[in-house]
Amino acid sequence: MKKDTGKYLPLIPVFAVYLVLFLMGKNMSGMWQLMAMLLFYCALGQAFNIFLGMTGYVDFGYVAFMGVGTYGMALSIVHLAHYEVLGAWVIVIGFIMAILFSTILSLAVGAVALRLRGAYFAIATIGVNEGFRFLIEGARIWNGSEGLIFMGELNQILGREAASVLATFWADVMVLVIAALAAAVTLVYMRSKIGYALTALREDEDAAKVMGINVTKFKIVAFVTSASFAGLVGASTWALKTPYVFPPEVFEIHYTIEAIIIVLLGGAGTLLGPVAGGLIYGLSKYYLSIFLPGFQLLIFAPIIICIIVLFPEGVVGMLKKRLRDTALGRYIV
Amino acid sequence: MFFELLAGNLIQGVFLGAVYGMATMGLSLIFGVLKVVNVGHGAFIMVGAFITLALFDGLGISPILAIPAAFGVGLALGLFFYYTVIQRLIKAPELATLLATFSIGILLEEVIKLVFGSEFRGYNWVVGKIDLGITVVPMSKLYAGVGSVVIAVLLYLWFNRTRAGSAMRSVVEDSEGARVCGVNVGAAYAWSFALGIGLTVASGVLLTMFIPVGINPYMGGGYTLKAFVIAVLGGLASPYGAFFGGLVFGLIENGSYTLFALLPGVEPFALTRFLSFMILLVILLIRPTGLLRGK
Repeated sequence: MKKDTGKYLPLIPVFAVYLVLFLMGKNMSGMWQLMAMLLFYCALGQAFNIFLGMTGYVDFGYVAFMGVGTYGMALSIVHLAHYEVLGAWVIVIGFIMAILFSTILSLAVGAVALRLRGAYFAIATIGVNEGFRFLIEGARIWNGSEGLIFMGELNQILGREAASVLATFWADVMVLVIAALAAAVTLVYMRSKIGYALTALREDEDAAKVMGINVTKFKIVAFVTSASFAGLVGASTWALKTPYVFPPEVFEIHYTIEAIIIVLLGGAGTLLGPVAGGLIYGLSKYYLSIFLPGFQLLIFAPIIICIIVLFPEGVVGMLKKRLRDTALGRYIV
Repeated sequence: MFFELLAGNLIQGVFLGAVYGMATMGLSLIFGVLKVVNVGHGAFIMVGAFITLALFDGLGISPILAIPAAFGVGLALGLFFYYTVIQRLIKAPELATLLATFSIGILLEEVIKLVFGSEFRGYNWVVGKIDLGITVVPMSKLYAGVGSVVIAVLLYLWFNRTRAGSAMRSVVEDSEGARVCGVNVGAAYAWSFALGIGLTVASGVLLTMFIPVGINPYMGGGYTLKAFVIAVLGGLASPYGAFFGGLVFGLIENGSYTLFALLPGVEPFALTRFLSFMILLVILLIRPTGLLRGK
């Protein structure tokens, strides 16, 4: 019994940070938006880390999964709003659709791209979000480049008051839940066969294959998990907070860049890394946008280069090395 | 009527394709020698476009003369980024170089945005046009196409007829063997990277002749994707394969645009971009070594 609980101790610092963020936002006036932004970045990092951190593969098309998740929610609201029996269940169906859409897209992309190695995989994914965006615009699927606007439908389902509370409060709480769930899933994976298989393949894919590990299967598991969390993040932060969806906005590569920065800053493949990365990135972006608006990427690009060259392990990676075999070390994974 | 339109578009596609090919040679050269995928490829093309714009608008210098200028700037940028970043990452996992070149691309975009702003810009180079009967080709596109072929031939001669070129080829074949034979492998890496970037920046000059008002700090992303499709068509590691891949891609792009335009209720331009992504996936799936390679 003791052994089992010990396995999941590292979740304590992660959940503690999320709780503090939530309480600070709830109780200090004017802080909610900042805290919600930090939670969004933590959730994004936590979700992306399941794939990038655990496999060592870079997915440059990651935002596409957030995009289709957003569409899953948006389409549910648009098409189901007039069934009054469903009521607020439409939102639940929306989340299910978000998972479904991102899972299907990730299975389709993964089935092709994950058979490829490192560089070839990255090349295959770099076109995913562009390719999908241009499919929606070109074939005029889901209203094409005009996008979907569903403010009216959302008000019809929930009432004006509740819809506004949903956008300003419950959507952010949902992001918190997603971040916590993603962290829990990360740790479960780390402590199970999946995690060991992924570590083996990250270190040496050929050796892992020779040892009889079905590398493609485990890569697809990590890819699909990571993608469905991205779909959920998209559905709650984009579809619910801003009740419209336009292809160029939800397939914007900047979110992939942000996810990469967060995971690298914190330490790829660690549990606490995305939290640390999300906080550092979110806070510095927030203050940079106040003091030096428009210069965030100009400042962050050289920072990523420096991290890659000088500190490839990230903040938590270095901390983990320092604290190995100490009492604190058990909590940091 | 339709076939005339198609034939005309395909002729235009040949010129565009030659430039696409030339714009991809740098990517393939860098991958072939260093095994580094330059994910920031499009940003270097964008730098070339802005050099053209600055020289033409600022100093009234013809875009033809901008080609050597852009090549020079590209060499310098290539050497700078090689010695500050890439050199330290050659032995690191692939993840590191992918993310590093990606960040270099963002850095270039942001610096250019800082200097030139983010609106779409263009320049007006009047050199007349030539009537081929079924289609009218602007002279600027003709120059760009011919210029690409000339540059490709020069690169071929340099690789096969000079000492530095054969040293570089020997590094591709067997870097340890080359080192034993007295080739300075480090320098060969540095100059291959610089040459690859130089070609890419120079290709940005040629590409501006096809996009009259499309010069923008973020224009590179689309070209990165196209360059990957082309490079994979021609075999990722072969600059000449990339050139022929470019020709094929130019034809596919213009041909499919003409066909998509016949379909009712679609946006043909967006669909051609989707098609190029599908081509990439299919080729990667069936023949990751490239379609145009013999074996």
